[in-house]
Amino acid sequence: MTRREAVNRRRGILLMAPTVLALGTLTVYPGVWVVWLSLQHRHPIFGVSRFAGLDNYTFLAVDSRFSSAAVTTFVFTVTSVALEVVLGVTAALAIHAQQGGRRVALSLLLLAWAMPAVVTAKLFEWLYHPTAGLLNVALGGHALNWLGDPRLALPAVVLADVWRTMPFVAVLCYARLLAIPAELYEAAQVDGAGRLATLVRITLPMLGRILLVAILFRTLDALRAFDLMFVLTGGGPAGTTETITVYAYRALFQTLQLGFGSALGVVVFALVMAVAWAYLRLLRTSTVTA
Amino acid sequence: MRSRAWFAPLGAFLVWLLMLGGCVGRPEGEPVTLVFKYARILGSADPLPGLLRAFETAHPGVRVKGEALPWTSDDQHQLYVINLEGRSPGFDVLMLDCIWVPEFARAGWLADLTTHLTPDELAPHFASAVTAGTYNGRVWALPWNMNVGLLYYRTDLLARYGLRPPETYEELIAAVKQIRDGERDPALEGYLWQGKQYEGLVVNVLEAFWANGTRLLGEDGTILPEPARAADALRFLRGLIEARLSPAWTTAADEELSRRAFGDGHAIFLRNWPYAMDLFQAAGSAVRGKVAFASLPGRARGAAGAGSTGGAHLAVSRRSRHPELAVALARHLTSRPAQRAIALGAALSPTRRDLYHEPELVQARPDMPRLDGLMLAGRPRPVTPAYLLVSSTVQPEFSAALVGVKSPERAIADARARLDYFLEGIR
Repeated sequence: MTRREAVNRRRGILLMAPTVLALGTLTVYPGVWVVWLSLQHRHPIFGVSRFAGLDNYTFLAVDSRFSSAAVTTFVFTVTSVALEVVLGVTAALAIHAQQGGRRVALSLLLLAWAMPAVVTAKLFEWLYHPTAGLLNVALGGHALNWLGDPRLALPAVVLADVWRTMPFVAVLCYARLLAIPAELYEAAQVDGAGRLATLVRITLPMLGRILLVAILFRTLDALRAFDLMFVLTGGGPAGTTETITVYAYRALFQTLQLGFGSALGVVVFALVMAVAWAYLRLLRTSTVTA
Repeated sequence: MRSRAWFAPLGAFLVWLLMLGGCVGRPEGEPVTLVFKYARILGSADPLPGLLRAFETAHPGVRVKGEALPWTSDDQHQLYVINLEGRSPGFDVLMLDCIWVPEFARAGWLADLTTHLTPDELAPHFASAVTAGTYNGRVWALPWNMNVGLLYYRTDLLARYGLRPPETYEELIAAVKQIRDGERDPALEGYLWQGKQYEGLVVNVLEAFWANGTRLLGEDGTILPEPARAADALRFLRGLIEARLSPAWTTAADEELSRRAFGDGHAIFLRNWPYAMDLFQAAGSAVRGKVAFASLPGRARGAAGAGSTGGAHLAVSRRSRHPELAVALARHLTSRPAQRAIALGAALSPTRRDLYHEPELVQARPDMPRLDGLMLAGRPRPVTPAYLLVSSTVQPEFSAALVGVKSPERAIADARARLDYFLEGIR
């Protein structure tokens, strides 16, 4: 190593130090601490602090509330992300095809996205109001018990989530649509491709990569979903809208079961990591083949 | 030389980290500031600022900072837990929901007030409010305001059919049927109560348990000592919804949802807290002058009805730097003149019994004397440091029985099994 290389190397380490230090203190240290906590019976109120081994995890395996929360998290993630992608792409195509007023359409779309989740939840609370809510009034007389019926509560929460985050997918797709070179469409036209063929053969494949990114972000968000259900239903009725994150919040911050709650947190973390890893692999292979 | 420039941001970052960790102490000799954490009081006029200024006048050199708590009970609890467990000296006097007092006392977050009190100092308060502030024979919090579950009814509708307020649920059901048959108004609901999955559901189910002669925790701490009776109470509540005596949306109803429907004139009976009366009697209310309240019903051949009590207490943080002054402030705010001012200016009911018969207060709120008897008959929720654990564990089970996802027996059995495991973990 030359002198110059050594200096460069030292400078590199120095440059990285703040990042490593910040990540270490703010992410790695708390992360390791949570895993450590999850292996304990820790209850500050009762002065309980003892090693529990895998007790908390073995209880999770037989805990019906946890399995219900896991199913809810899964159903919520799959349905909300699927609807958001379909509606988001549709909205992006619609705006792209629009002759004028694109700016207005985009702004309106972003309005929903810009609203904090809690505000959205409060808004939908009024929409779902059993007697005075706009939805029930619009449905005319058939008062649906949106947030109190175990079959309707989760769809109601999904609907609110789709309304709020569909614009995110739409805006990403719209940006990609703008970047598709016009020559491609012209060439398709010359070859005699119809509108459907153009959509299926050109537009959608060109959207593929950006959609994967959008789906990755949305899935990770949906897996950690908390605010909407917490405000709208508190996890009810009968725990049908309780996600793992809501369950973890209750254990950690309401009942102060720090060990048990941490175990739930670790499960969410593992879930998010697994999904992120799978997507990133998918993204990489699609890059190679593209 | 050039490489040294990189030390500056790094150094700044380290200084920032140090500042995060170190607590900046207050210099001596400056005026003392007491921090009082409380939930904003709703009502015609918030009497608190005036009361805090009065304390400052009586204690020169002391400044009291009233800091508002978050809006919901869950958020308030979370704020306290994070700060108190983190040993923050951030507040001196704290307003606590009565169900938190044993928990916070057990955790060692509160100052023991027993030695600060004169022997009979708490005698003028409702005994149940004093009990709620007591844990292990020591006093940890002073009673501040009081709540009790009430049965509201429409006087005009009951009078039209020559009915008296029901003393049992059986009478209530008969009254609902008779009035709805006569009124032929499809929008008129029978009995509204709170069945959403939250703390309010536990309160409503507890009241049904008591009417059915059973309880959530036995004297010796057994969980749901009479499961068959408890299941029967849940079945009764579910039956109200199935028979449409209570609307289907009861399973999503909290206090405000049910209060609004009743206040709009769309129901005959309502279970709610005393605060609702002021809103029903306010100018512009659709039911003004047509509402009265009574004790919650009991069951035929069963126990008499009793409402669940609630309310707020004032406690002193163990981390307070000025415990003597903090106790003085808590005392000042729970004193007779202070509770009187709060009862006059806001829709909160005092914990001092004699105020319920004080002429000026009775003139402003004519229901006060009746409320006294109902408060006295009210029953507290289980007084245990594990209350939130118990409540949050039974909520989804009770809710499952109400919406019919589980049979009442199954819900009770599941609640017992889960509580057994969790309560074992804290022994």
